[in-house]
Amino acid sequence: MVRAIAIMAILGPGVIAASAGNDAGGIATYASAGSLFGYKTLFICVIVTAALVAVQEMAARVGAYSGEGLMSLVREQFSLRIGAFAVVCLLIANLGLVVAEFAGIGAALEIFGVSRYISVPMAAVGILAVVLFGTYRYAERVFLALSLVFLVYPVAMVLAQPDWAEVAKNAVWPHFVASQDFLLIAIALVGTTITPYMQLYQAAAVADRGIGPDEYREERIDAVFGALFAGFIFMSILIATAAAIGGSGPLTSAAEAAKALEPVAGAGAETLFAIGLLGASCLAAAVVPLSTAYGLAEAVGAERSVSRRLREAPLFLGLFTAQVVIGAGVALIPVNLIDLLLTTQILNGFITPVILFLLYILTNRPSVVGDAVSGPKMKVFTLICVFAVSMLAIVVLVTTVLGWFGLT
Amino acid sequence: MARRPPLPTPSALKRRREHRSQRLLANRTVADALVSAAGLVGRPVRDRSGAEVGRLLDLVVRWRGEPYPPVTGLVVRVGRRRAFVPIDHVEEFSTERVTLSSTRLDLRDFERRAGEVVLNGDVVDHQLVDVDGVRVVRAADLYLARVGGEYRLVGVDVGFQTLLRRLGPPRWRRRPTPDRVIDWSAIQPFGTGAGTGPPGLMRLHTPNQALRRLRPGELADLLEELGRDERQELLAQLEKETAADALEEMEPDHLGALLRESNTEHAASLLAEMEPDEAVDALRDLEADEAAELLAAMPAAKADRLRALLLYREGSAGGVMTTNLVLVRPDQTVGQVRRILRSQAEHQADVDAVIIVDETGRLVHDIGLFELLVASKDDHVIDVAGPPEPVTVSPDASLDEVVERFIDSRGSSVLVIDDDERPVGRILADDLVDALVPDRGKVRFLRLLG
Repeated sequence: MVRAIAIMAILGPGVIAASAGNDAGGIATYASAGSLFGYKTLFICVIVTAALVAVQEMAARVGAYSGEGLMSLVREQFSLRIGAFAVVCLLIANLGLVVAEFAGIGAALEIFGVSRYISVPMAAVGILAVVLFGTYRYAERVFLALSLVFLVYPVAMVLAQPDWAEVAKNAVWPHFVASQDFLLIAIALVGTTITPYMQLYQAAAVADRGIGPDEYREERIDAVFGALFAGFIFMSILIATAAAIGGSGPLTSAAEAAKALEPVAGAGAETLFAIGLLGASCLAAAVVPLSTAYGLAEAVGAERSVSRRLREAPLFLGLFTAQVVIGAGVALIPVNLIDLLLTTQILNGFITPVILFLLYILTNRPSVVGDAVSGPKMKVFTLICVFAVSMLAIVVLVTTVLGWFGLT
Repeated sequence: MARRPPLPTPSALKRRREHRSQRLLANRTVADALVSAAGLVGRPVRDRSGAEVGRLLDLVVRWRGEPYPPVTGLVVRVGRRRAFVPIDHVEEFSTERVTLSSTRLDLRDFERRAGEVVLNGDVVDHQLVDVDGVRVVRAADLYLARVGGEYRLVGVDVGFQTLLRRLGPPRWRRRPTPDRVIDWSAIQPFGTGAGTGPPGLMRLHTPNQALRRLRPGELADLLEELGRDERQELLAQLEKETAADALEEMEPDHLGALLRESNTEHAASLLAEMEPDEAVDALRDLEADEAAELLAAMPAAKADRLRALLLYREGSAGGVMTTNLVLVRPDQTVGQVRRILRSQAEHQADVDAVIIVDETGRLVHDIGLFELLVASKDDHVIDVAGPPEPVTVSPDASLDEVVERFIDSRGSSVLVIDDDERPVGRILADDLVDALVPDRGKVRFLRLLG
């Protein structure tokens, strides 16, 4: 018990950043993978989790040892132009994400019969209140509590009664299905799990929390545990849907996944999925705009901190507020702009490689991380992860653009 | 806790800033004479005959604490080499062109020496402290000008517009846009050049004199805003007493982070220098093992005193009191007491009265400074002391109880005595205010979660 409490006290930015990656879009992707190909994509999830651990650990290390966020470092260590390019992409891509999260909140509560015209504004007000009036410590506790909501997915997984032997076999042994859809879903799994805002938030929150080299051991546990926890959760989602509705066909949204579960796995599974979607969307609807605000404020050189008051950090908190308000507003207007905004995700294809490679270089620079530069094995491992994830992000980018012209 | 002069209001700071930025732009010709350091990067460097020798990479400046550091040379990329060209081999150096005076170029590879800073590598895009405006800035560009036959660094641009300019085409990039420029003499730079040279070489040991003028509260704001290395460097440049005063003014979260990231000896010596009640507050915010480690690194007497204070519950009279007491015996004269007070000048903010105790250390009376001031110096203190009786509370008393005593007594402080009536501390009105309003200006409903 004492041990459990000690571990809980360590948890913070790492769990929040990684959990935020299991957002509305993520859940839809994992559920789709499960319903389309059953357990067959599980081994990809294992690999993605390993890459996520590597990437989030690097971001946490950079934040802890330099005391600065990624964008400040990019401007200091590389160039203003790269920083500006990344920030502009991030600004647009993240705004699209925020809209998707608020749409997710609305969809989740509609399953319980609450109109989105009530739930979305209330969620927006709640998120603004936590960040604008609380210090980072309080905001973090709220976010951590939201991360706990994800535990409904393992429960749903057990309720769906999967074939455990099949699960184990598919998790360790690679299975390929010779189809374009399989390749696309595999790429989508990587793309929705490792997104730039997670690394940005991880580094900035560590720096903002004042975690230094001395506390890095604990922060490393937080970052690694956070990534493993996120991996466990999205595998639960995949297994739950695979067991209940495997082989049925693609799903377009997380809410649809919840509804699809109801006739097969019972109303309990549907409720659990809806609750999970609500928690996931709320968490990401706070973390995504925060990461944008961190990124832009850092790049411009304005002071930044969740623990400051609006008057002291007008750019940071103003930008955060604007994103939440716009995100909630767009999610509510009757004209369907959501699909349009989701295409902004394509910009993540540009910044993922940039952010990951810069992150890799930063973790190998003694002037940034001191004696915590990656060791030789770590270097090879992180480089492989960075390279593979970047390649896949670029593949997504190219196929999406080709798709616009009907070439795929 | 010390009472300090009020901080300048934001509008006053803004006026100071505006005044200063106008200083540099007093006339248009100054702006025209400025050379943008960031804009020169990549410009061709030509010899007398007009042939291109190489491309400009960076500018080297010597920093020895002068208000406007002189440019000592250029770093030029010639072929694949990074060559150093001393400034006396440069004939013309302007926004338009860089020409060398000699045709023969002695190609020395660039090597960084102690006290030298490369402007684009070390300063542009890095954090600086604007001492006049009391804020942390990030340099968007640096401006050079010819002053008394030498090129010197005269100002730092912090405008957003300048960032946009640097993203634009080359023609925009080199044209100075001095709309928010800070005079370099008001800048405290940091030795952030470890990136390309051996670590430690670039530390700039000459703090800006203006740093001394800053109030503790202003220093606290700066410390909160800076990145980790810069923060440590600023801290290292302050006198220990000044640093401790600044730490007392920091927000608890930031103070905790700063103590954790400093090495244990340094953090312990700063804590020892702080007023005991503030030091105890800081220790309470740390993890138990971190606090124990810091206490172990302190002088034993100081550590024991802080440990004793830590035993009192937070939110009780013992938790908010100061232990800086001036104790005298009834038969001492006013003159003697005044001498004692003089020796306690460093704690003046904590002393608003003198406590008279008997030979067993029990409280006899409490005399205000006013009574001591108007008495003649040969009087015995016990004769000077008049009604009312001192107002006391026990260390375990709740803050509500302390407030009631304050309301009853209408005094500026309340004494804390133990069960044997020995004085152990004093609660000043300002400490009580701080204890009752923990997070200045923050909404407290989220405390529920804490």
